[in-house]
Amino acid sequence: MVSKTEETQLNRLENQVDNGGGGAWEYLCLVRKLKVRRSEKVLKHGLSILNDPKKRSALGPEEWTLYEQVAIAAMDCQCLDVAKDCIKVLQKKFPESKRVGRLNGMLLEAKGSWAEAEKAYSSLLEDNSLDQIIHKRRIAMAKAQGNISEAIELLNKYLEIFMADHEAWREQAELYVSLQMYKQAAFCYEELILSQPTVPLYHLAYADVLYTLGGLENLQTAKKYYASTIDLTGGKNTRALFGICLCISAIAQVSKGRNKEDKESPELQSLAATALEKDYKQRAANKLGLLTCSLRSLKN
Amino acid sequence: MVAELKYEISQNAYIKLVLHALKHKTTAVNGVLLGRVNPQNESVVEIIDSVPLFHYNLALLPPLEIALIMIEEHYGSKGLGIVGYFHANERFGDAELGIVAKNIGDHICRYFPQAAVFLLDNKKLAALPKGKDQSPVLQLYIRDASKNWKLAGPDGGSRLVIKEPAANVVLSDYISSEKWQDVVDFDDHLDDIKMDWLNPELFK
Repeated sequence: MVSKTEETQLNRLENQVDNGGGGAWEYLCLVRKLKVRRSEKVLKHGLSILNDPKKRSALGPEEWTLYEQVAIAAMDCQCLDVAKDCIKVLQKKFPESKRVGRLNGMLLEAKGSWAEAEKAYSSLLEDNSLDQIIHKRRIAMAKAQGNISEAIELLNKYLEIFMADHEAWREQAELYVSLQMYKQAAFCYEELILSQPTVPLYHLAYADVLYTLGGLENLQTAKKYYASTIDLTGGKNTRALFGICLCISAIAQVSKGRNKEDKESPELQSLAATALEKDYKQRAANKLGLLTCSLRSLKN
Repeated sequence: MVAELKYEISQNAYIKLVLHALKHKTTAVNGVLLGRVNPQNESVVEIIDSVPLFHYNLALLPPLEIALIMIEEHYGSKGLGIVGYFHANERFGDAELGIVAKNIGDHICRYFPQAAVFLLDNKKLAALPKGKDQSPVLQLYIRDASKNWKLAGPDGGSRLVIKEPAANVVLSDYISSEKWQDVVDFDDHLDDIKMDWLNPELFK
């Protein structure tokens, strides 16, 4: 998960390096730290360092980290020869390494040799059954072959062991959503909110899933979680503000003729609408008219 | 005998959607197509523009509902409506129309019964720079009488045409110049409302 500040910083660096302003190593380190997927850039700028003996030796022991980073980026861009070369260098330097073994497994994956990759990973797991990265590779393989249900099953087994892996819970939720299994996705977000209650992203995602599930109870809970998102983000989350308006409109539809009066809603709705209009007026004035009409049509 | 509906897509609408898919190579993306029935020829649906929608969690309702409301509001005042849905699968080798695409397609059909679904043809797109194919890198899906989405048959090539014949040449150019970086979708807008999902400067 990357914050807006971190993303801005990364993009600025990326622009700088792209335009010949230097800072390639800084950029590559930041990509590694933030765990983002910018494989084309990593490949380009990583190779420019690796192919220059002076720059390479200036890295000292970090040279090997870069070989690994470039190997993975190369595989992502289907430049398998580059990947193979990098892995060969690492193999020479670290002949018994499990980490290099993993890279070889990934290379098999990149080639589409699923059975061989599975064999490689199984044998690596024999020596260390708790290797998180290899477990995740198997899940990635299932996904890559389009076998989402198997990916979900493997991921569930993984989560039984590594239940504190928040990114894994998020991945699971997203897999469930892609199969429209919203109840199960909701459960994943519940786990995340329990363990990290102040992360607004989870509240927002949970609300989105509940709204999608529908039904009066879910809509009312969704409204609460859009509200908590707004709370946690100091009122700045556009999606949550829209979410409130959507919920109130949907709740009104569902409760028609049910004699259930929602006293707080008209206030909440106008608060959210006002916040949105203020923001659009400031930053997206050309869409303000559109926003106002849209919010009005939601009210009816 | 009822004449089969033809879909004519404008170059800009077409290119915008393909570029959007290329901007987000590692996820599924979707978009909507705006247009109308040709006032002079009822058997032709003119697709005049497109709006790229999402590249993340496509199967969640709230962002989709907001997007459709705003898009219909904007284009309605120009006499255009949503006439189709575009989807690009996450994986290169996946050429199937998935359930999310079908559901959104069904929803759009409620308001425009002749709506079609367009699935990005990854293999055709990959072959683009090498060939002189003028046909769009899209697969056309139409709903049959039992409301199932069916791939328009081998003669489907003639049911979907790009208005400007040199569109693929222009597209290939844009791909080489990495123009996809400039495409803004509704997800981008919701993350930062300064980003304009109408992409007014894209083709200037």
